[in-house]
Amino acid sequence: MKLENKEFGFERFADEMAKLKKEQHFDYLVTIVGEDFGAEEGLGCIYIFENTQTHERCSVKQMAKQVGDDYVIPTVCKLWADADLLEREVYDFYGIKFLGHPDMRRLYLRNDFKGYPLRKDYDMDPAKNMYTTEDDIEVDTTTEWNLTADGKLVATAHKLFTDDEFVVNVGPQHPSTHGVLRLQTVLDGEKVKRIYPHLGYIHRGIEKMCESYTYPQTLALTDRMNYLSAMMHRHALVGVIEEAMGIELSERILYIRTIMDELQRIDNHLLYTSCCAQDLGALTGMLYGMRDREHVLNVMEETTGGRLIQNYYRIGGLQADIDPNFVANTKALCKYLRPMIQEYLDVFGDNVITHQRFEGIGAMNQEDCINYAVTGPAGRASGWRNDVRKYHPYAMYNKVDFEEIVLTNGDSMDRYYCHIKEMYQSLNIIEQLIDNIPEGDFYIKQKPIIKVPEGQWYFSVEGASGEFGAYLDSRGDKSAYRLKFRPMGLTLVGAMDKMLQGQKIADLVTTGAALDFVIPDIDR
Amino acid sequence: MENKESYFGEIGSAFKTLATGLKTTMKEYFTPKSTEQYPENRKTTLHVAQRHRGRLVFKRDESENYNCVACLMCEKACPNGTIRITSEMRTDPETGKKKRALLNYQYDMGDCMFCQLCVNACNFDAIEFTNDFENAVFDRSQLVIHLNEEVYKGGSLPNIIDGGADWQVGTFNTKTK
Amino acid sequence: MFDFSIVTRWFDELLRGTLGLGDFGAILIECVIVGLAIIIGYAVLAIILIFMERKVCAYFQCRIGPVRVGWWGTLQVFADVLKMLIKEIFVVDKADKLLYYLAPFLVITASIGTFSFLPWNKGAAVLDFNVGIFLVTAISSIGVLGVFIAGWASNNKYSVLSAMRAAVQMISYELSLGICLISAVILTNTMQISGIVEAQTGPWQWLIFQGHIPATLGFLVFCIAGNAEANRGPFDLAEAESELTAGYHTEYSGMGFGFYYLAEYLNLFVISGLATTIFLGGWAPINIGIEGFDALMNYIPGIVWFLGKTFVVVFLLMWIRWTFPRLRVDQILKLEWKYLMPLSLVILVLMTVCVAFGWTFTIA
Repeated sequence: MKLENKEFGFERFADEMAKLKKEQHFDYLVTIVGEDFGAEEGLGCIYIFENTQTHERCSVKQMAKQVGDDYVIPTVCKLWADADLLEREVYDFYGIKFLGHPDMRRLYLRNDFKGYPLRKDYDMDPAKNMYTTEDDIEVDTTTEWNLTADGKLVATAHKLFTDDEFVVNVGPQHPSTHGVLRLQTVLDGEKVKRIYPHLGYIHRGIEKMCESYTYPQTLALTDRMNYLSAMMHRHALVGVIEEAMGIELSERILYIRTIMDELQRIDNHLLYTSCCAQDLGALTGMLYGMRDREHVLNVMEETTGGRLIQNYYRIGGLQADIDPNFVANTKALCKYLRPMIQEYLDVFGDNVITHQRFEGIGAMNQEDCINYAVTGPAGRASGWRNDVRKYHPYAMYNKVDFEEIVLTNGDSMDRYYCHIKEMYQSLNIIEQLIDNIPEGDFYIKQKPIIKVPEGQWYFSVEGASGEFGAYLDSRGDKSAYRLKFRPMGLTLVGAMDKMLQGQKIADLVTTGAALDFVIPDIDR
Repeated sequence: MENKESYFGEIGSAFKTLATGLKTTMKEYFTPKSTEQYPENRKTTLHVAQRHRGRLVFKRDESENYNCVACLMCEKACPNGTIRITSEMRTDPETGKKKRALLNYQYDMGDCMFCQLCVNACNFDAIEFTNDFENAVFDRSQLVIHLNEEVYKGGSLPNIIDGGADWQVGTFNTKTK
Repeated sequence: MFDFSIVTRWFDELLRGTLGLGDFGAILIECVIVGLAIIIGYAVLAIILIFMERKVCAYFQCRIGPVRVGWWGTLQVFADVLKMLIKEIFVVDKADKLLYYLAPFLVITASIGTFSFLPWNKGAAVLDFNVGIFLVTAISSIGVLGVFIAGWASNNKYSVLSAMRAAVQMISYELSLGICLISAVILTNTMQISGIVEAQTGPWQWLIFQGHIPATLGFLVFCIAGNAEANRGPFDLAEAESELTAGYHTEYSGMGFGFYYLAEYLNLFVISGLATTIFLGGWAPINIGIEGFDALMNYIPGIVWFLGKTFVVVFLLMWIRWTFPRLRVDQILKLEWKYLMPLSLVILVLMTVCVAFGWTFTIA
C-alpha cells in the first residue's frame, strides 16, 4: 500500500498515539521504520499500524526532536509491547533515543560500535569500519532517557540483573536456538525469571546494503534472510517494487508465484515440525520430516535451480518458466505428502510425551499476542486472525479457497497443530491451482535500468512464520532511498520473555521450537 | 482439559499413543532407506537439476565461438564485483568499423553468490549457469576462471548437464549402481 | 548343559596342584586373568553396542548408518575409538582438578562393577555373593556420584544443571529398580544371582512365566526404570543436547568423554543383562516340557542364550529410545513417584501373595 502518513508533531505525539490505540483500535503495531529523511528534514520514524477488527492499516510519521546532539522521540513501548525491540533497533541504527523506554541498549550492533550506520552522513570509509577482533563489552546496566521540564536530556541507569542471580547464556552457540541467537536467561533453580535477547550475531546490514544496490540487486539478498521463507521474502520485495512501479502481471505469473509460495510454506513447516521433534529429543521424528522436505526441495529445484537460495522471482515476473515436469511432479508430491503428515503426528505430534511437553507451555493469550505482534501460526494459535493472505490478499490468494487455521489455547501444542493444519491447507491451495495454470508470459520485460517513482510503499506477505513486510521509500533513483524489512522472528523473540516467565529452562527450548523463528531473518 | 480422564484411563490412552509411535518406527525400520551415497553414486545414480546454478560458463557454438561483445552489462549487474572484463577497441580491417573486442573475462567463483543477475543482464545470450557443482579446490586462486580462455566441455561428471540419472517424487536413488 | 565351572576348577587345580602355588599365588593369578577377561569383554561389548546403536538408529530413521569405514561400516567404531584416544585432554580453567579427573573413573568403576555380576553361563558368574542383588544396586549407585561430581567439578552452568537433574533422576528410579529386584528375590528365595538363574531352569521356569502377571509387570517396570537409570532416551535429559549441550560431560574431551560414552552403552547392556537374568532366565534355555525340543534347546550353550536374550532387550530399549521425545525433569519425577513407584509396590505385594498362596506357575 502507498503510505499516507499522519503527522502529529512532537508535543501531541504521545497523546495521539494513545488515542490511535485506545479509540481507533489500531492495536497491532506492524513495524517501526527508522529513517534519515535527509539533511533538511532530519531523522524520524514511520509507524505502521493495523486495526485488528477491520484489518485497516494506517501509518504515522514522526520526526525526531533535536536536543543538543541527540535526537529524541517519546516511546510507544508502553502502548504496544513489540515497540520495545523495534525502538531499540531504530536507536541502534539511527541513534534516536526514545524517551521513557526503560532499556535503551544497542540491539544488533556491538556495544563498542561507534556511530549510527544507517544515517545518511555515516562515514562508510572501510578504514574506519574495520572489523574488530576484541571481545565485545558486556553491559549489565541499561539506560532510560527522559526530558526534564527545562528541556534537558537526563539518563537513568537500570540494572539488568542483581549480583546473586544465576544467569545462563543460552546461545549464541547452542543447539536449539536455531542459529546464533543469544538469550541471556536469569534462572531461579530450573525456573526462568527473565530473558534478555541479544541479537545481531549474524547481522549483515542488508538494509544498509540495499541503499547502494540497484533494485534488481537487492533481490539477491532477500533469500538470505529467512532461507526457509525465501520465496515469500522475495515476493514481498518484488511486490513492493511492482506496486510502486504499477506493473501489471500476467495470470500465469500470479499462479506460479502462489504455488511456489505454498510449496515454500510446506517446506518451512516440514522443517518446523522436524525441529520441534529434534528439540524435544525425538531425532527419529525429525528425520522423517527432513526426508520428505527433500522431495519438496527436489520439486522446487527442478524449476528454480535452488534448494535453499531459491532466486526465482524477479521484478516483472519470474526467472524462468516452470519446468515441463513441474505440474506432474507437484501433483505427485501432494499425493505423497498427505499420508506422511499423519506419520509425523503418529510418531511425534500425538504422542503423550509431546502433549505433556507442549500443553500450556509458552502460552500467550490473544490480547498479548496482538500487543507483542506475534503474527503467523504462533499468533493464530491464540485465536488472533492475522493471515495476510486473507486480509490483505496478494497474488491469487483472494481467488483460491482455503481456511485460515485459528486455534484457541495459544500454547506450544496449538502452535504445532496450527503448522500441521496449515500444511494441509497449503496442499489444498496448490491442488486448486496446479491444473489451471493459464498460458501467458512468465516475465514482463522491464527496462534495463529500473527506477521507481517517488513515494513510500509498504507491502506485506504471509511468510511461513508470520507477516513479512517490505517498506520502500523511493526518491526516483535506481536504488532505494530506504528499504526496510519487517522480520517475522523479531517480535516472536521479543515475546519470549513474557511467555516464559515462571516456566522451566527446558520449556525455553520447547517454546523456541514451537515459535518458529530463524535468526538470519531477525538479524538481517 | 475439561473432561478429566480417570487415573487409569489416562494411562490407557497414553499407552495407546506410545504404541502408535512404536508401530510407526517399526514400519519405517523396514521401508526403503533415503540415504543417497554421494561420492559413490556420482557417475551412476546422481541426479542434479538442470537449472541448478553450479557455475558460470560461456555459451559457445559448434566452432567454439562465443557471443560476448564485452558490453560490461554483466559486470555492472553483479552485486559482488565477481566479474572483471577487459576489452579494447579494434577496427575491423574489412569494414573499417570500430568494434569492442573482449580480451579477458575474469569470473571469480569464490565471490559469486549465484544470483543469476549477470545472465539476466546479458543482451547477447553469451553466458549461462550450468549445474556442474563439483567446484571444490584447494586454493582460492583456482576459483578465478577466465571464461574466454576456457572451452567448457561439460563438468567432471558424465551426463550431468542433462541432469544425470532419472528421479521421481517420493523416492531416493539409494543405489550406487 | 555345559557347566563352565569345570574349566575354572580345572584351572584352579592346575595352579595349585601341578604348579604347586599357595592360596595367595593361585588367587592372585586367577583374579588377574578374570579381571583382564572382564575388561576385554567390556571393551568388545562396548564396540559391538555402539555399532549396533548406530545401525539400529539409522534404520529407524530411514538412513543406512555408517558404511564407509570397513565393510558395511564395521570399522567405524574402531576409528572413533582411535580418534578419541589421540585427542587432547584438557581441563577447564577453574575446574576442580581432582574431582574432575576422578569422576569418569567412578562412572566406569560402577559400570564395570555391575557388569561383573552378570551370569554368562552355568558356572561362569564372576562375582557371585549370597547378597548379590544388594551388591549390584549398591555398586551401580556409585555411578550417580560420578555423574554428579563431573557436573559439579566442570565449572560450567549447564553441567551443574545437568548433574542436578541426573542425580535426582537416578536416585528416584533406583527405588523402582530395587523393588522389582526384590520381587524376584521373593519368588526365587535367594539373593544370589546364580541361584536366581538356577531357579529358572526347567520347563516354563523363567520368572516371567513363573511369576506371570506380577513378573511381567515387574519386567516392564524394570525396563523403564533401567532405561532411566542408564540415562537413555526418553529419559536422557541429563545430557539433553538440545537444552544443555552435552550436560555433565560437556567439558570432557578425549578418553574422559570416552569413559562416559563407554559407560553409557555398557549400562545399557548391564540393565538389559540384569533384566534377562532376573526375568528371562539368564543363560537358562527355553524349555517347554517336551523332551526332544528341550534337549535341542539345552544343546545350545548358555552364553548364546544369555547374549541372545540380552541383545533382544537391548534392541527393545533402542527401539524405545529412538521413538520417543524426551520428558521434562518434573515429568520424569512424576512418572516415577506417581506411576512407577506405586506400581512396583503393587507388584511386590502381588508377588508376595502369589508366593504365599503358591499361585506361581510351575510344572513339577
